[in-house]
Amino acid sequence: MAEFNPEKITFKVQRYNPENGGAPHLEKFTVPFNKGMTVLDGLLYIKENIDSTLSFRASCRMGICGSCGMLVNNYPHLACHTQIEEFHSDKLTVRPLPNLSIIKDLVVDLTPMFSSHKQIKPYLIRGEAGMEDPNAEFAQSPQELNTFLQFAYCIKCGICLAACPTSASDRLFLGPQAMAQCYRYCADSRDQGQKERLPLVDTDHGVWRCHLAGACSEACPKGLDPALAIQLLKRQLAAEALGLGKRRPPSPVVPPIKESKPKVPYPDFTVKKEK
Amino acid sequence: MRRTRLHLLHMFSGIAIAVLAGIHMVALHLEEVLAFFGVDASEPTSWGAMIARSSQGIWVGIYIALLAFLLYHALYGLRGIILELTPSARKERVITWLFVVVGIAVFIWGSYVPISLLSS
Amino acid sequence: MKQTAPRSNYLGVGGWIWAGNYKLERYLYLLHRITGLGMLLFLTFHLTATTVFRIQGQEVWETTMALLSNPWLKAGEYLVAAAFVYHGMNGLRLILQEFGFLLGKPTPPIYPYKDALRKKRLWVVVMMVVIFILALVFLFDFIV
Ligand code: SF4
Ligand code: FES
Repeated sequence: MAEFNPEKITFKVQRYNPENGGAPHLEKFTVPFNKGMTVLDGLLYIKENIDSTLSFRASCRMGICGSCGMLVNNYPHLACHTQIEEFHSDKLTVRPLPNLSIIKDLVVDLTPMFSSHKQIKPYLIRGEAGMEDPNAEFAQSPQELNTFLQFAYCIKCGICLAACPTSASDRLFLGPQAMAQCYRYCADSRDQGQKERLPLVDTDHGVWRCHLAGACSEACPKGLDPALAIQLLKRQLAAEALGLGKRRPPSPVVPPIKESKPKVPYPDFTVKKEK
Repeated sequence: MRRTRLHLLHMFSGIAIAVLAGIHMVALHLEEVLAFFGVDASEPTSWGAMIARSSQGIWVGIYIALLAFLLYHALYGLRGIILELTPSARKERVITWLFVVVGIAVFIWGSYVPISLLSS
Repeated sequence: MKQTAPRSNYLGVGGWIWAGNYKLERYLYLLHRITGLGMLLFLTFHLTATTVFRIQGQEVWETTMALLSNPWLKAGEYLVAAAFVYHGMNGLRLILQEFGFLLGKPTPPIYPYKDALRKKRLWVVVMMVVIFILALVFLFDFIV
């Protein structure tokens, strides 16, 4: 492929200002291109040099905080995680993520996602022993860790919601993000909250509204696989409903170490202390 | 686990339809292919062939079972699509009950006809 | 400060059809839905023909059948048969995958990321080949 090195990149950015009213419209900006430039760098250049009223959200610039999800050339990306070079085109169209509400320009309201995330109880739930008095850790093998590890990497960017066809029309739908987190905690060997959590996704707008379009997994910038998590959650629900499968006991608490190894003796002082 | 059971039934009815409607379609559409295998099924839609089928208990049984599974599968599927469009729990309840009533009514009518023809 | 409610940006039914440049499964889902609705429409006609018209005796039945042998309606019937094959086979894949089969196990994400559906794309291809063959068999019978 030919070296991609244009002089300038044309950004078409969707603008919308709630205070002026009016419909969202595209605005053109021309930005000089440097090698290694990300979409976010381009937006920052516009904000610093061309139009300081442009609003977008970004914080870490390294794909960790999940605030910069946006639709670049009709595909959801993290702006900081996406090099302009990837598109092999000197025209970029940047829009806010769909299936969420626009607050201003490229800033979308992620509240619905966070509230459904909260709804599925995204924390370890333990029985009687409880989590109140944590004085030891729970045992977990690397294999057990691998069953959910990838889902723990979610940065809550909302890109999977923008990709999901059910989220497009169903506002009560929990969304791939929340359901992947539900699986993440249900599959955790230290967790005992299945009984509380499964009924929350077993609703008319829960797991069974997922039709395995797989767009969420395709788009997720962190390599999570929400579609897989939802199918595994369905498997758990079906096993529960049919009374199949065996219950795993929650992982035990690691007993405190009884005898400590003999201490390494201190070497003698090489310098005599003066008395 | 109520929704899960309903959905499992949806999946099961899907498999049942694939089998029963598969029989139905092969018998009514694939006459050339069947002839190749030595089964004579010419003109399956003629009045004579149809009456012959509808006087056999096995076909009537297949039709009624197929109807039941089809109605459940289709109406549950359609309800799912409609639920993705209505953000109101009250409307959803109305739709669900409407579908139940329609389903039962169609089932009664649809199974009354072959049973009444069975004796004629 | 003036407070304004955020502007809704839900794609609605349009978002079922197109929301960006996605790959195969998203359109298989769409086709599944369309074939399902199409067959439901067919079912209403079909049930009317086989109950309301049939119960009125031989003559009504034969005129109905003569009406239905119109080549356009025959082509429509073929579409229903093809939709049945697609919906059935894709449905079978969906049932298996919704129970977590043919998807593999969760693995730690290692760049370049590849999700379960894409790792197991072969199954989808196998399913589509089977659909294609079955659809051809039905086509053969509709034209001879
Ligand atoms: S699952 Fe992926 S796409 Fe969805 S919010 Fe988490 S990191 Fe973003
Ligand atoms: S700025 Fe933090 S993820 Fe892009």
